[in-house]
Amino acid sequence: MDATAKLRVDHLKAGYDGKVVLEDVSLTVAAGEIRVILGASGCGKSTLLKTVIGLEKPLGGEIEMLGTKVDWSEGRPPTAQLRRMGVLFQGGALLSSLTVGENVSLPLRIHNPGLPRAVVEDLVRVKLGQVKLGHAYAKLPNELSGGMRKRAGLARAIVNDPELLFCDEPSAGLDPVTSRGLDDLLLELRESLGITMVVVTHELDSIRTLCDKITFLAKGKVVFDGKLDDAERNGPQAVKDFLARKSAPEDGKARSLAFNLEDA
Amino acid sequence: MNDQTVELPEEISPEWVSREHSRLMEGARDVGLKLDCRRLRKLDSLSTAWLAHLQETLSRSGKKLVLVGLSPELKEDLAKVTLPEFPKEEAKPVPPLPERVGEGAFGLFVEIRDTLVLLSESLYWSTAALFKPKTLLREDAIIQMVRLGSSAMPIVLLLSTLIGFTLAIQSGIQLQKFGATVFLASGMGISMVTEIGLVMTAVILAGRSGSSITAEISTMVVQEEVGALHSMAINPIHYLVLPRFWAMSLTMPLLTLLSAASGVFAGMIVGFFFFKLSPASYLAELRGAVSLNFLGQALAKSLTFSWIIALVAINKGLNVRGGADSVGKATTSCVVTCIFSIILADAVFSFIFYY
Repeated sequence: MDATAKLRVDHLKAGYDGKVVLEDVSLTVAAGEIRVILGASGCGKSTLLKTVIGLEKPLGGEIEMLGTKVDWSEGRPPTAQLRRMGVLFQGGALLSSLTVGENVSLPLRIHNPGLPRAVVEDLVRVKLGQVKLGHAYAKLPNELSGGMRKRAGLARAIVNDPELLFCDEPSAGLDPVTSRGLDDLLLELRESLGITMVVVTHELDSIRTLCDKITFLAKGKVVFDGKLDDAERNGPQAVKDFLARKSAPEDGKARSLAFNLEDA
Repeated sequence: MNDQTVELPEEISPEWVSREHSRLMEGARDVGLKLDCRRLRKLDSLSTAWLAHLQETLSRSGKKLVLVGLSPELKEDLAKVTLPEFPKEEAKPVPPLPERVGEGAFGLFVEIRDTLVLLSESLYWSTAALFKPKTLLREDAIIQMVRLGSSAMPIVLLLSTLIGFTLAIQSGIQLQKFGATVFLASGMGISMVTEIGLVMTAVILAGRSGSSITAEISTMVVQEEVGALHSMAINPIHYLVLPRFWAMSLTMPLLTLLSAASGVFAGMIVGFFFFKLSPASYLAELRGAVSLNFLGQALAKSLTFSWIIALVAINKGLNVRGGADSVGKATTSCVVTCIFSIILADAVFSFIFYY
């Protein structure tokens, strides 16, 4: 086993409302790596992310984050562990009643109530600058575009200098230019802050820009785990087809209708 | 028997299908159907689906659909039509009555348990905040006090005054028959302080503030904002529940007292103008009738009602699953549950105070 691994998922079984979505999922993410989790819609990517970040309790298996096994004995993962990670949600998940600045400062204010307000403000401005959103400090989330909301969500996710950053569909719903900008931003953050990242996406352009390794899920199972080049050359056919943008065969069959035709 | 022959128009429009379909099917059920397609110029999605439906339905009952005089282009188009075969969805069996009753009872038990857990956590964190005042989100609590309590004041005062007028006139007329209008003050005082002011305020806040709490929190759940709080290691009890719990606990007893006072004041005006009762004698009678004991009962009840509203509303909001329709359902359910629980708690209090 890799001792420098920032995230280790071992034989994970996960689901919700009594439904098993993931079965026997294992993966290891090394320090400084960008791992892309991909697969077609409904394959269990989001369930994997929700379980790893502690929003859903695993039904079986183990998760080790930042060198410590995630302990669910108190009904939720330990605060100390959660504070060392950051999450960028699909729509940004900014609190709509707070300004961008208040949203980004929220984890700091809650966890460090004694911190002087001016210091918090300065730190928030630095983080907003890192995501190129310095001008939006006093704006409300509903005054921002989709891409700006995601960047604000990213600023909030990195405000505590996390060692591990999870991103859920960072480029979903964005135009190609904004999407590319966000991918570049993630790469810059990895370079400047050395953050290990787990990115869930099915956008092929993002995958090619970002990933060091991919984990491909299909029907709740890992069908490929390794480098993108390997997947394209030696991966299972389903993975090759996905990466080559070939559509998967549809479920079910179709039959022709035999009409009775007569000439007039 | 011969097929019935029907001439199709140049274009099969939705209106044509709506008008003719039932009649055609009625006639074709016994003898099959022959469609004269010589005038037909175009096959669009609707006409293709309609023909496919006729073909399937008639062939299932052993009858034939014959298309006569179709142009070669349309024949080509029709040959491309395929019908997807979906696996048959098995109808979910309806569970027997005892099982449904059991499920309902278990659901209720879970809801009560969750609300009590929320109460215990709220009390625990409230107590903890007394020792670590910096952890209390004072600004958020004040915002919630204004939003949930203060802004409800005009409607609470207006409705309580109107109820006070009505109650005073109705009871004053009855008391006048016995020459006992002087007791109007005691009647108004006791009923407004111990029952009507309380329940009125609680019902108004359940509808106004309870629904607002549920709608706000459930929308936050649906938009992953609560998930974001979890991921930032922010306890939603601390951030979402406590400010609302404190706001309701502090504002509702005050609103209850204001509601009772406005009802009693309305009684005084009615007594003065309709029953020649001087304000001095009204107030003197009131002082004698409404003891501190009654005020204590009112405050205890209003505090309990405020907890019911806050915790039921928060619990309904946090347990939402799904989309926008779930938010609406949760909000409706919150108001109904709050009002029912308030009336039930009021009945329990009546027994406790009586004995």
